[in-house]
Amino acid sequence: MALRQIYHHETGLRPSSSSGLVGIPVPNPFRLRFRPSPALPLARTRSELGGGEEQGKAEKGDGEAKKGRRKEGVTLDDVNPVGLGRRSRQIFDEVWRKFSGLGQISRSLTDDDEGLLLIRGPMCEFTVPEAQDTTVLVVGATSRIGRIVVRKLMLRGYKVKALVRKADPEVIDMLPRSVSIVVGDVGEPSTLRAAVQGSNKIIYCATARSSITGDLNRVDYQGVCNVTKAFQDYNNQLAQLRAGKSSKSKLLLAKFKSAESLEGWEVRKGTYFQDVVATKYDGGMDAKFEFTETGDAVFSGYVFTRGGYVELSKKFSLPLGSTLDRYDGLLLSVGGNGKPYILILETGPLADTSQSKLYFARINTKVGFCRVRVPFSSFRPVKPDDPPLDPFLVHTLTIRFEPRRQKFVEAPGANNQDPRSFKLIMEYIKALPTGMETDFILVSCTGSGIELSRRDQVLKAKKAGEDALRRSGLGYTIIRPGPLREEPGGQRALIFDQGNRISQGISCADVADICVKALHDSTARNKSFDVCYEYVAEQGNELYELVAHLPDKANNYLTPALSVLEKNT
Amino acid sequence: MASRLGSLPPQLASSSLRHHRHHLLHPQCSGQASLSWRRAVAPAQLELISVSASTGRCLAPLLVKCNAQTAVATSLSQGTPVRPTSILVVGATGTLGRQVVRRALDEGYDVRCLVRPRPAPADFLRDWGATVVNGDLSKPETIPATLVGVHTVIDCATGRPEEPIRTVDWEGKVALIQCAKAMGIQKYVFYSIHNCDKHPEVPLMEIKHCTEKFLQDSGLKYLIIRLCGFMQGLIGQYAVPILEEKSVWGTDAPTRIAYMDTQDIARLTFIAMRNEKINKELLTFSGPRAWTTQEVVTLCERLAGQDANVTTVPVSILKFTRQLTRLFQWTNDVADRLAFSEVLSSDMVFSVPMAETYNLLGVDQKDIVTLERYLQDYFTNILKKLKDLKAQSKQTDIFL
Repeated sequence: MALRQIYHHETGLRPSSSSGLVGIPVPNPFRLRFRPSPALPLARTRSELGGGEEQGKAEKGDGEAKKGRRKEGVTLDDVNPVGLGRRSRQIFDEVWRKFSGLGQISRSLTDDDEGLLLIRGPMCEFTVPEAQDTTVLVVGATSRIGRIVVRKLMLRGYKVKALVRKADPEVIDMLPRSVSIVVGDVGEPSTLRAAVQGSNKIIYCATARSSITGDLNRVDYQGVCNVTKAFQDYNNQLAQLRAGKSSKSKLLLAKFKSAESLEGWEVRKGTYFQDVVATKYDGGMDAKFEFTETGDAVFSGYVFTRGGYVELSKKFSLPLGSTLDRYDGLLLSVGGNGKPYILILETGPLADTSQSKLYFARINTKVGFCRVRVPFSSFRPVKPDDPPLDPFLVHTLTIRFEPRRQKFVEAPGANNQDPRSFKLIMEYIKALPTGMETDFILVSCTGSGIELSRRDQVLKAKKAGEDALRRSGLGYTIIRPGPLREEPGGQRALIFDQGNRISQGISCADVADICVKALHDSTARNKSFDVCYEYVAEQGNELYELVAHLPDKANNYLTPALSVLEKNT
Repeated sequence: MASRLGSLPPQLASSSLRHHRHHLLHPQCSGQASLSWRRAVAPAQLELISVSASTGRCLAPLLVKCNAQTAVATSLSQGTPVRPTSILVVGATGTLGRQVVRRALDEGYDVRCLVRPRPAPADFLRDWGATVVNGDLSKPETIPATLVGVHTVIDCATGRPEEPIRTVDWEGKVALIQCAKAMGIQKYVFYSIHNCDKHPEVPLMEIKHCTEKFLQDSGLKYLIIRLCGFMQGLIGQYAVPILEEKSVWGTDAPTRIAYMDTQDIARLTFIAMRNEKINKELLTFSGPRAWTTQEVVTLCERLAGQDANVTTVPVSILKFTRQLTRLFQWTNDVADRLAFSEVLSSDMVFSVPMAETYNLLGVDQKDIVTLERYLQDYFTNILKKLKDLKAQSKQTDIFL
């Protein structure tokens, strides 16, 4: 039937030479042109109907089609007994098929009719509308979770790329056929470039297969670093192609490359409290912000006053049309010698500074240059009653140094310095773009399933990997499942928690389901959490029962579960 | 959990020796009368079962002696380790089978599909990530290899309309069940037809009923699910002809059938399979509402916005044709297929109240798709697609 033929050959719809689109059942106007016989049997292939003159005359029933396209007039073909016999046989078959079909309760479809609509299309209960434009790279596609993730992605219509170490026949058999396989190793950054090309999101479920520390570090820590770096590079490349206007590009707030860039920055001194007596005897405080001969902008000074501070501040002007509410946080590239600083943002109407509210966040720097990411969510108001920071209203940024009695944290090479003097080399300040969805999903672990002897190493490597991902600036989701079980998923309620309190296991299929659901969920961005089966507490321990979420048919358990969790942890 | 061709599953050992005879009650069944199925013997004798010859026509039942030692048989069994997530789906290319495969893949099972070797194989199964193995129920020697390492068998297979029913639906199923028993399959899910016990004159129903009994007696852990009708079938039968303005054939039978979406059937099957309380059970799944042909056609007309060209065939003609075709040997298969006309004329309601089943499975009634919603989704999407194509076609006209 013609409709079925559309489903088969939709992409191959080539117009034949004389009539337009012979195969489409658009009613009336087209039908008159070729006068199909009343009951077109299934057996006719599309080529018969749509074939142009290039089709050979030997085609079965071709006489029919040709007759249809020509004008009226009885031709020799009409009275050809073979043709007549064939046609009558076809009509009879068709009628008989319909007749005998009446006698059955439930017929199965004889060909792959459902194809485009019922299976891959909108009527399938698995289809996710955003899936059509998304390519997901699955790292660790041969692992237990990875295989299920790949299948689930395929069912929902995503395009999947799988990173494997070797393209062996067994490996290829393990994966569905429409997955594009990329050969590479997470330990080798050069191989990753091909993998991240064209990917929108990454699901990382690879883990070290052996317990050698080197392997652990390679896959769980270094691998994560390499993949995030490759992905960031790719995104930056894309952003450059779009002249810095892509949603993933950072906004430049200040760049310290020349002496002019120091304009607008004001150095101020202040004290938290006045201790008149003490101020007479201490060394005072002083700071300056200058552009050195080496081409660096340096903010340096000393503070000997107890309770004193020095700061560097500027009212910045954003380029036209951009406001900070589209951004998630600040990125500073500084060389700070391991000292801590305080960032203060001032919000409020520009005209009236007495109405300003101040928000501060502490940052730590490392010895030498480092990039510090400060999400807006980590800023706290100076006055506790003030509302949380609204980036839209920010107009002034201040970097403050105050000496604090610190505990001796290990800071190699910084031991001999005086905690009261500082030197901060500023390179640039940018704003990090926000995003609605997560870009990178990492499957880590809680460690409760691993035997004690290995647990520390594994957890250390995994934590290092997680930190690398958080620092990278990508939107991340870190899932820490309890001990994995090979069971079918979707049957038990799940607990999502952020406190290291879980103890139960979880099935691989459920973890895979969470990975897939988190791809487009805005509540999943920048969160890390543990997940396991619900735990029915024994008597007396009910206080600690955590809230569980049951899957329903639509299975949207993820959003309500994650919306109560804290971001950026 | 190991499965091995020669091992003796414990359930088998508990009952004492008996052999079964199954008679096909169909009066027209030519010749063959008794079917028996063999039991594996005690491991002390270590005799392998010959599964290959189970054509169902064996007339000399095998007398076996079960001694007390058979109870400890499993200690001997070392075979292929079986993961509880491995499933074999028989009939995976069918309407129901493919939805079962998709659901199983989504829930994390390792799915193996039994398909017949074809020159142009059904590739979509492999695209989804299922493993495809070749086998044929009408050739029982191909079955055991496909069962290796499998925990559960889900049987959605039935013979195609152009084939004789008996080879696949009876003999093939018997072979499959025997094989499953011998190899220690842990669960067998079988799809049957609602009220199959009430219509012995319809061959397919009688066969399904006998298969149910056979399965129940086999000692396997089973789950039998009786179905009423599929919504998917209605698309090809009514929706497509209405859209194409072809003639729609229907009967004037007053039978009401409760159609159900195969995706829902698959989902409920898996819920039932995992439910520990349902061990040996017979469940019936029927859709939310029972429809007659006329009602379905009216609904399609309303949703398509077009009138259907309905040819109503009186049931009496069907019955007459059936009687006619029974007279000839070469039309016997057709007669079998037309036998449903007996059902249609008996004014049945093919539906059961599902409240208890939903309760048992923990499913909400609202989650089950109704026919109105299903057809509405279908028509909205297909009309949109046709509109897009039409728009596209207008463009390409320029070149001609």
